[in-house]
Amino acid sequence: MGLIEHRFEDNFITTQVDRILTWARENSLWPMGFGLACCAIEMMAASASRYDIARFGSEVFRASPRQADLLIVAGTVTKKMAPVLRRLYDQMPEPKWVISMGACSNAGGPFPTYSVLQGVDKIVPVDVYVSGCPPRPEALLYGLMRLQDKIRRENTVLRRERVIPVGATEPVLVATDTTSHGFTRNNTEAKNE
Amino acid sequence: MQTVARWLRTIFLVDLIKGLWVTARYTPQPAFTFQYPAERRPVAPRFRGLLRLQVEPETGAATCIVCDQCARVCPDDLIALGGHREPGQKIKILDYFDFNLSRCSFCGLCAEVCPTRPVKALIMSEDYELGTYTRDRQILRIDEMYDGVPIEHYVR
Repeated sequence: MGLIEHRFEDNFITTQVDRILTWARENSLWPMGFGLACCAIEMMAASASRYDIARFGSEVFRASPRQADLLIVAGTVTKKMAPVLRRLYDQMPEPKWVISMGACSNAGGPFPTYSVLQGVDKIVPVDVYVSGCPPRPEALLYGLMRLQDKIRRENTVLRRERVIPVGATEPVLVATDTTSHGFTRNNTEAKNE
Repeated sequence: MQTVARWLRTIFLVDLIKGLWVTARYTPQPAFTFQYPAERRPVAPRFRGLLRLQVEPETGAATCIVCDQCARVCPDDLIALGGHREPGQKIKILDYFDFNLSRCSFCGLCAEVCPTRPVKALIMSEDYELGTYTRDRQILRIDEMYDGVPIEHYVR
């Protein structure tokens, strides 16, 4: 994947290949079971038969980060857990996404203390923040759908410089710094707070 | 005698049929799954969803009287609101209402203390589908407090 990722201009073949690869990616997000607190109960409920996260192709909760695409951070991340979380994120193969589930992992929740990480985006780049304390299983599925929207808009083999300006409908090619993606982007966001 | 009974059970597959009968009994039940995006489960009457400001249903006038009780009762200090008083009038008018959704634990204390009657200015609505792409979008301003949070589309 690394050989062909973001290396092609738009033409008929690459856009079709891109569409197929994007479809495959967004409909087989394998999450890593990373339940830390009460949000994990709702995550389990979302994967059980009532809400059935398998309808979105995400039922395969992997115990190993090497087999996972999606890290659902469900619960309070303490500062003791933070290096472990970062290591597990680093062990996941590209492409990888992160859903921050619940108030605790979004911003620390009701624990503004010395021992709790104030937002998981301090250590890993987060794609979708799902609010709630804990979020209902539907809210997690909603966050998953928003992540699928995001993956649909992100390109696989096409150049990364395609940007859709606010208010426009079609993407345009603009020259941007190709190194500024992933973690760098979220670092700047964290500084802006 | 016991051996013969066991043989007969084995020959006529009694245990297998018993097990399959359990399976067959559960099979005709309707599907248990909620088809969530198409079908929404009704929430409980006392469900606490996203905080929401209310207007008078008939006139559309703002109901908040800027008493600051919700900001004071919030255990995580997530609400900041302010208003001004028109000259010659007694009632205050709400100018801004900032609500930090990211830390909210949906305890409902803010809506509980809201003193305006008969229409409560601050309620816990039934919205629970909350997801944002950035943390900035989790701080809700006054227009989102009135209208609810729209579905955010990803723009790259």
